[in-house]
Formats: sequence, C-alpha cells, structure tokens
Amino acid sequence: MVTSPTPHADPAVSRRRHAGRELCRAVVGRSARLVAGLHQTWRRSLQVRVVTITLVASSLLVGGFAYVIANKITDILLTNAVTDTRLRITSGADYAAKQVYLFSQPQEAQLQDTIEGTVNYLAGGDPQQTSGVVVAITADNYTDIIETRSSPVLDVRPLISRELRASVADGNVAWQIRTGRLTGERAKYLVYGSPVPTRFGQVELYYFVPLSRQDATAADARATVVATGVALVLLLGLLAALVTRLVVTPVRVAARTAQRLSAGLLDQRMVVNGEDDLALLAASFNQMATNLQRQILRLEEMSRLQRRFTSDVSHELRTPLTTVRMAADLIFAERDDFDPAVARSAELLQAELDRFEELLTDLLEISRFDAGFAMLDAEPTDLVPVVHRVADRLAGLAERVGVAIELDVPATSVIAEVDPRRVERVLRNLVGNAVEHGEGKPVRITLGVDDTAVAVTVRDHGVGLKPGEEKLVFNRFWRADPSRARQTGGTGLGLSISLEDARLHGGWLEAWGAPGQGAQFRLTLPARAGDRLTTSPLRLVPADAALPFGGPRAGGLLAIGPGPGGALAVGPAGAGEKAEARS
Amino acid sequence: MTRALLAGVVGVVLLVTGLAGCGIPGSTGVEVERRVSSAEAGTSSGRSQEPPTRAASGSDAEEFVRNFLAAAAGEPDRAYYRVKQFIAPEDRSELQEKQGSEVALTVVRLTEAPVITPDVESTKVTIAVQQIGVLRTNGTLAPPVATETKYQFGLRSAATGGQGNVEDAGLFVTAPPNVLLLSHVALQEYYEPASVYFWSSDRNRLVPDQRYLPLTVPDERQVTEVVRWLINGPSDWLRPAVSGLPDRTEMINNATGGDGRWEVNLTMPGDDERRLDQFATQLAWSLPELDGELELKVQNQSRTVVNLREQRLKHPLYPLIGNPQRYCVYDGAVHPLAFAGEPGGTVPVAPEANRNVVSAGFSRAAGGVLAALVVAGADGRQRLTVGTGTDPVTAFRSSSWYAAIGRPVWLRSADTGRPYGLVVADRRLHRFGDDATLTPVTLNVTGQVTAVAAALDGTRIAMIVGGALYVAAVTVDGGGVTLGPARRLATSLTGLSAVDWAGEDSLVLAGSADRPGIHQVSVDGAREFEVRGDVGAKVTHLSAFPVNPVVQQPSGAVMYEANGVAYRSPAERIKREQVLEVTPPPAGVRPGNPTAPFFLY
Repeated sequence: MVTSPTPHADPAVSRRRHAGRELCRAVVGRSARLVAGLHQTWRRSLQVRVVTITLVASSLLVGGFAYVIANKITDILLTNAVTDTRLRITSGADYAAKQVYLFSQPQEAQLQDTIEGTVNYLAGGDPQQTSGVVVAITADNYTDIIETRSSPVLDVRPLISRELRASVADGNVAWQIRTGRLTGERAKYLVYGSPVPTRFGQVELYYFVPLSRQDATAADARATVVATGVALVLLLGLLAALVTRLVVTPVRVAARTAQRLSAGLLDQRMVVNGEDDLALLAASFNQMATNLQRQILRLEEMSRLQRRFTSDVSHELRTPLTTVRMAADLIFAERDDFDPAVARSAELLQAELDRFEELLTDLLEISRFDAGFAMLDAEPTDLVPVVHRVADRLAGLAERVGVAIELDVPATSVIAEVDPRRVERVLRNLVGNAVEHGEGKPVRITLGVDDTAVAVTVRDHGVGLKPGEEKLVFNRFWRADPSRARQTGGTGLGLSISLEDARLHGGWLEAWGAPGQGAQFRLTLPARAGDRLTTSPLRLVPADAALPFGGPRAGGLLAIGPGPGGALAVGPAGAGEKAEARS
Repeated sequence: MTRALLAGVVGVVLLVTGLAGCGIPGSTGVEVERRVSSAEAGTSSGRSQEPPTRAASGSDAEEFVRNFLAAAAGEPDRAYYRVKQFIAPEDRSELQEKQGSEVALTVVRLTEAPVITPDVESTKVTIAVQQIGVLRTNGTLAPPVATETKYQFGLRSAATGGQGNVEDAGLFVTAPPNVLLLSHVALQEYYEPASVYFWSSDRNRLVPDQRYLPLTVPDERQVTEVVRWLINGPSDWLRPAVSGLPDRTEMINNATGGDGRWEVNLTMPGDDERRLDQFATQLAWSLPELDGELELKVQNQSRTVVNLREQRLKHPLYPLIGNPQRYCVYDGAVHPLAFAGEPGGTVPVAPEANRNVVSAGFSRAAGGVLAALVVAGADGRQRLTVGTGTDPVTAFRSSSWYAAIGRPVWLRSADTGRPYGLVVADRRLHRFGDDATLTPVTLNVTGQVTAVAAALDGTRIAMIVGGALYVAAVTVDGGGVTLGPARRLATSLTGLSAVDWAGEDSLVLAGSADRPGIHQVSVDGAREFEVRGDVGAKVTHLSAFPVNPVVQQPSGAVMYEANGVAYRSPAERIKREQVLEVTPPPAGVRPGNPTAPFFLY
C-alpha cells in the first residue's frame, strides 16, 4: 500500500510548526535575556568577575598539573609493564632459542611439540594464575610447516599488526600496544615480539600482556587527580568569593554612604571594624566625610554671614539714607533760593541719592534671592496690560533719548500664572536696557503665547553684543564697556535680578546679540506655575538677524550646520548663543 | 567578558580532552627495542644419515627393494611419510597409519635374497623373513608381534603413460604389506645402538637396557632422547627386575645445552637428593660420550650439577676387582690357565674339594669367592658342591644327586649375605644358595633347559630353553630367585647348545648354522654376527668375559669346549702346557685335555 502525500499542509503539522517556531523564539528570547542578564551581572558585580576569573585561571593551572601528573603516572605504569615484559621476553627468547636450537630442519617432527612445550612453559601453565599473559610462537617464514602455537590456545594473529610482524621478522625486538579480543572482552594488550634464532632460520616469540590492570590504575589515578583538581578549583572559587566579599562589602557600604553623603545626608558614616586596610579605608572615608561636612558647614556659614552682612548693611544704610533723603529733599525743594552753583549741587545730590536708593533696593532684592527668601506670588495675570504699562512708564525716557517703542502684542489677552510685579520688573529692566542701548533706533516689544508658555522679546538695534557676552550680561555689576559713562542710573544688578525672577517662575531669560545688529532678550514663562518649559513661542534670534552662514532662505527651513568654534549652529535657537537660564 | 568566557571554555575543553587523552593509548606505533643478531643457519651436526629416497635406486629393482626395507628408518614421526613415498599413490591408503607411540617398525631378517619375478604389468617381489622384533618409538626392540615368514608386494614403474624417462622415474611399490618393514641391515645402518641404565629393584646395580637411536637425530637432541627413554621406563622384559623413575616424572621441554654443559628440567614427584644423585648416575652412564657438566632442574629449580665423567668414576657400573682369571677342569680338578701377558692365579678351592670336578663356576664377591663345583659320583651321577668364603674356600656343602648338571653360574648381587646361583640340573633350571640346595625355578616358557648364563649386573640371565634362546630378568629377594617373563630372541642358529654373556648387551651363542659355530647376538636378537663359523663339533661349554666399561677385556675373552677340547676364541686350542699346578703325568699315560674352561671375575 502506498500513501500519497497530502497535497495541502496538514493543519496539525502547520500548527506544530507554528508551535515549534514559537518555542524556538521563546528559547531564543529566553537565552538572549539570560545572556543579557549575565552580561549585566558581569559588568555590575566585581565579585562575579573575580570568582569567574579565578575559576578560569585555576582551572587552566590545575588542569595543566592534572594532565602532567596523570600523564606521568600512565607513563610510569606503561614503562613498568614494558620493562617487565622485556625481561620476560629476553629470558623467554633465550629459553626458546635453546629449545629450538636442537632442530636443524623446520620439518622435524618434534619441533612442533617443542614449540608447544616452550610456549606452555613460558606461559607458566595455568592461565588462571598468569594474569592473562599469552605467549605465542609464530614462524612467519615457515607458515605452512610450523603452526603458530600459543598458550593458552587462542587466535593471537589478529593482535599482531603487520608492522610489528615485519619489524620482528626483520630481526628486531619490538613492541606495540593493541586493542583486541583474546579472552572474552576487548582489552588493551602490550604485544611484545622478539625473534628467536634457530639453525634453520628464525621463529618469532610474542608476549601478549593485558594492560587492564594498568589501565584501571591509570583511570583510578586520573579520577583521583580530576576529583582533587575539581575540589581545588571549587575551593579556590569559594575562597575568591569569600575574599572578594570581604573587600566588596565595605566598598559597597562606602559607595552607599558616599551616595547618601552626596544626597546631603552629611552625618552618614561607615562602621569601622578592626584595624585592617578596609578599616583604614572606612576611617579615612569617615574622616573625609567629617572634613567635608565641616568645610561645607563653614562655607555655608560664611555665605550666610556674607548675605547677612549685605542685607544688614543695606538695612543699616537705609535709615541714615532716609534722613539724608529728607534733608536732601528739603534742600532740593529750596534750591531756587540758593546760589546757582549750590542749586546745581543740590540737584546732583538729589540724583545720586535716587541712584543710591535704587542700588540699595536692588541689593536688598538680590540678598533676598540669595537668602532664599524670595517667594513667588503667582496669580493668573493678563500680560498685555503689563506690557503696555511698562511701555507707558518708559515712554518718557524713550522720548528723551529719541527711541520709539513699538509694541507687538496679541489683540486678545494673554493669561499666565505669574507674579505680575516681578514680570513687570523684568520687562522694565529689559525695555529700560533696550532704550538705553538703542542708540536712537526703535525698540520692539513682542508678546507671544502658545499652549504651554508665554514669551516676551525685547529687540533693539544698538551696538549689540559681542560673542560670549550673552551670558556675561546677566552677571552682577557687569558692563560691556567699563569706560563708558552711564547715561542712565542703572545699578548693574537689573539683569541679575531679572534672571533670578525668571528662575523663580521656572522660566528662561535669554539674550542674543551680534555686533552692529543690536540685541534681543527673551523671557519665556510657563503658562501654569510649576510646569516645565520645553519650547518657547517666540524665537530668540530675530528674523532680521544676519546668520553667520547667510541664514535660511526667506520663508524656508533653517539649515543645520557647523557653527563657529566647532559648535553646532541650529537656528533659530543656536546652542552656543543660548543663555544658560534653565533651572 | 567574552574573552574570559572563551578562555574558560577552551580551558575546560583542554582539561577534559587532555585528561581523557592521557590514559594508556588503545594503539601505538611499533617501538623497536633493539636488534637481535640475525639467526645463523647452523649446520646440522654430521650424523644426519637419512635412508635413501625412492628415486635413489633408479630402476634397479633389487636396490629398490633394499631401500624400501630401509625407508622406515629414522625418526618414527615421519616413518609413514617416508615409506609412503615408495608406495604407488593409488595404493598408499592400504598402509594404515598409526599415530604417536603406536608407530612401530617391524624388524625382519631376510633369510634369503628377495625373489623378484618380473611380469608384464608389474614385478612381483617375495621376501622370506624371520621376525626379529618390533622397533617402538621409545627405541626398544620388542618381541615380534607378526608371525609372517614372507611378504609379497609388487613393483611398477613410476613412469606412467610413457611419460618421462623410465630409468629416472624409478619404481613404485604396489600392494604393499600393511606394516612398516625394516630390514635388520637397515637397523644396523641407520640406527645407533645405545645402552641406557636402570637401577635394579634393590637400587644397588645399574642394569643396561638396549635402545636404538636413529642416526638422523642430531647430537644436540641425544640428551633429550636419553632422558625421555629413562622417563618412559625399561623394556618390558626388564620391568620386573628394575625400577624406573618415580611415576609422573616428566621432562619439561627438551634438554638443552652443548659445549660441555647440559641442562635437564624435570617434574619429579617425591624427589630427594639420593634419588637425584642416582638419576644423575643413570644419566652419566647412559650418556657415555659426554664428559661435561649436567645440571638437573626439578620444576625449574636447579637441584644439582654433576660432572658426568666424575659421576661415572664415582659410581662404577660393576664392582669388578682386577682382571679375570681363566680356569679349566683338568683331570677332574680345577686348574688355573696361564696365557702370555695374563697373570696366572691359584685355585681358590681347597684341594680336598677339588676332585672329580666336571665343571665349575666361580665368582668374586666382597671379601671372598663363591665357588660351585659339579662333582661326578662313582655311578656317573652328578651333584653340586657349593662353598663360599675367603680364598681358598674350604667348607663345602653338597646337593643331592642328579643325572646331569650343567655349569653353575652365580648371580652377582650386591647382597653378599645370601648369594644365589643358577644351574641346569636334569634339564630344568634350579637355583642354589650357599647351602647347596637346588630348588626348581618356574619359567613362563616350557621346554628343556639346556644352558643358563648370568650377566654382569646379576639381574639378567640368558638361557636356552627348548632349543631357543631366551633372556629374562631375575629378582633376588629374601625368599629366593624369581624370574620375570622370558623374552625369546630370534637367531639364525639352530641346535643351540651353550650361551654366555659377551657384553652388556650381547651374548655369545653356540649352535649350528650350517655347521656348528659360535655367534654373537645382541640382547634383543637384532644384531648377530659370527664369532667362529667352523667349530667342527657341537660346543658343549661356552664361557666369556663380558665387555664392560670397568675392566678391560682380555684378548680371547670367549673360551669354549667342543668335542672335549677347549679353545680360546677365536680358534686357539688351549694346550695342556697352559694348565698350571699340574703334576706331569707319569710316562705312558696319555695326558688328559683341559675341559670346561671358565673365568673367575
């Protein structure tokens, strides 16, 4: 009967194949996970690494020794067997030669009996008591006349290889180890052959010495060596694990302690046990931690004292300043009655007192930030009136220096959760700065909004900023040109305070500028207080700015390419030009 | 990590394979230890003398028959092979082969020349034979089994269908006899007679036993063969009187050696130093040509090393003292005979007893002389008087009277206390002791006994019973003398009248071939030659001094009496002048003749 193959794949087969594929995938996945896990363990655990390396190295070493020892034992056993047999076969060949010497013809009748008697004599009679040694005499040159005789009677011919036969026939005493079956089971035999000179030519005497005892001894020795080796390797591994554990545990404790220290828990200390190196490490670590703690506390204290000093000085100055102010106001009000020179002095006094007062206010504000006492008083605020208010308030100054303030605000209200007082102060600072450095060119205030953030940019077209000055502008008391006379009474702290205000909101304050192209400052604030900023609704780099590499085509996308100094320039927010204002 | 893992894996693999590989290998190449000097094809030592092959005789039928009757000679293992070469291929199956120790050669004496009758198809050969014995593998010639007196077989040319040269192709035997025939000529030609020695039952004397060694056996194997013979025990007829080696004594392989040193390895149950020494003595005498050292091993343990020559000197075969002295009976009294070059003796018998003597037999024994005299009475009847003691013997005892008493012979025994002798009285064999009492001795053969002679060893006797020659072994024990089975010897002589021992393994025998004569016959009857062919009359007395390795034989060691005249061999008449201590007869009286000559030894 012939079964024809089914034309369509058996659904069961297909299911099975599918299941197999699943299983395969599962196995692969599992092993991949296992490898990954092992890899991770390897990377993370010094103990695993040390133990593995110890195991591998000691395995190689112990294996090498075991090999040498086992080899040596086998060699000795074999050499003993060979030497034994050599002695036996030498005397045996002598005896056989004497016996066979009586015959001058291979045909002689008693020769066969003599050969049989000789092998029986050499084998020692009872095969049970001769440890299985088989003795045989062959006559390769007279195979048809002299039969091969062995004691005990066995077919020994298969055990004598052709090479050995040829070598012995050539007149050599030679030996070889062969595996074969003589009595029952297969065994290794040392086959030793010696030529026996006779008067009619040569016959060959062979000894077949079973090597089972030597083999068993060698196997025993090997097993012992392997067992010892394995035990030694395991012991070394255990030892390595223990020692590593001894070292790694304190290191781990130290790491944990260091982590806690870095997290601010300065009073964390390690436990010191004993007087060893690890104890020294722990003690040193503790010493270091103590010193660090002391230093940090000292620095904190100094910083606190410094801030306290600034604050105290500001406060202490305010009281006499108030008195001086009142006096100066009085003098200023009466200046028309004074000599014109004195009147001029009274005006100067009044102006410098204003600056002094402003400086004090800013200092107090800064010290409040430093002391961490600044509190955000956020409330939903419409920013459009704030922008208007700032523009209105600075309109006088702008008019005085001939700068037109242009506003670009959305028609609808822009509500954000901000502290209006601080935002207004920031804007006032920015616009004031722009007007001051506007060099008569118009200043543009733009208000932008999106889902998550609101932004205000203030653009002027003054001298601009040199590369690198985008960050310096926010430093306390920084001036672009120290020799330049201050037209307005800026304290040098405005941008610093503005930056602190922006940070207090969780927003950004960034600057962009280029020599001859003016500058633009951008304030970005989250629409909801506490949100994290990711983007800004407005660009920091103004659209009319000339980019270093020519800029994108009008209305086209920005090109990304290498910027100056190896930096990556990506418009509109070039990485190198972005002020570090993120908190 | 990957590298470390790889190293680890490689290490483990190396470890496992390395340890697995460092056991005893299952197979190795051939390791040559050293070279042995190549075997030299030595030359066989001379004696190899094979009988001629079939083709040697060409188409000469007479020579072919002679060769055919010699073909079986040589080592028994291949005897059938050699004989079958002579037999036509189609008839070879008619010769049934026997194996091992059953191989026996039928030794025959050709009484006539072969009768060769040429025919058209094949030649017919008839040989008339006398059966001598059966040569066994142990070298003994046993009494004949077959009774045929003639054998017939055919001859045909080996050249079949006109192929080949008829002359060169030779002949084939057809219809062969179903035995291995060996002519006595071939036995002499291709075998060497040898004596091996066994200890007598009382272990005091060595008794020779006749063997035949094929000449093809090389010298090197001689020791082996002799030791085998000794182990296999004596000839059948000797067996009652001698002791062999202990039962289950075996030789381990061959005796080896050469150049003055030999080694014999035995298993010998119940061996002791004395037994070994006795065995060494046996060997020393059985190998008379070897002078070197012989090492005896029992179960591979070296037990004793003896110098064969010294051993022979230390243990002489026979306790012979001095040269033999000749005596004869002259005028009814024993008188010494004197020959030139031989010392004359005195009569060891007191003159009172030395009267009316017919014949006498003396023997030297330790410390004295054994004398037995056959004395004739007045009525012609005879009696035996026996006396022992120091020379001269004075005290004699007498037996009762008999019609006729032959010459008495003493059995030379080591037991000096009770000497025994044998004598034929009234045609029956009797033994006698020093009390002169004649006691009949039972024989296993029937017939009238006419003569008896004892060998030097005192264990073997030869006798003529019913006209045929027999040898037998004698055991002397406390109760008397017991004879073993007598073995009949074939001889060409008829009408036998007297016998004596001519050597250890030979007899002198008086009888008649065509005319009365004296022949020497080997102790198995195989070898026979004429000492004197023409005596002229029936020999009535015959005495010889046997050849032995101890005392040299004088010339004319055989003396006999025929027709009342005594002779010294071969044919020298013993004259009256040679008789000592004789008073010259008064004038006119015809002086008597010396008769019944004999030896004292």
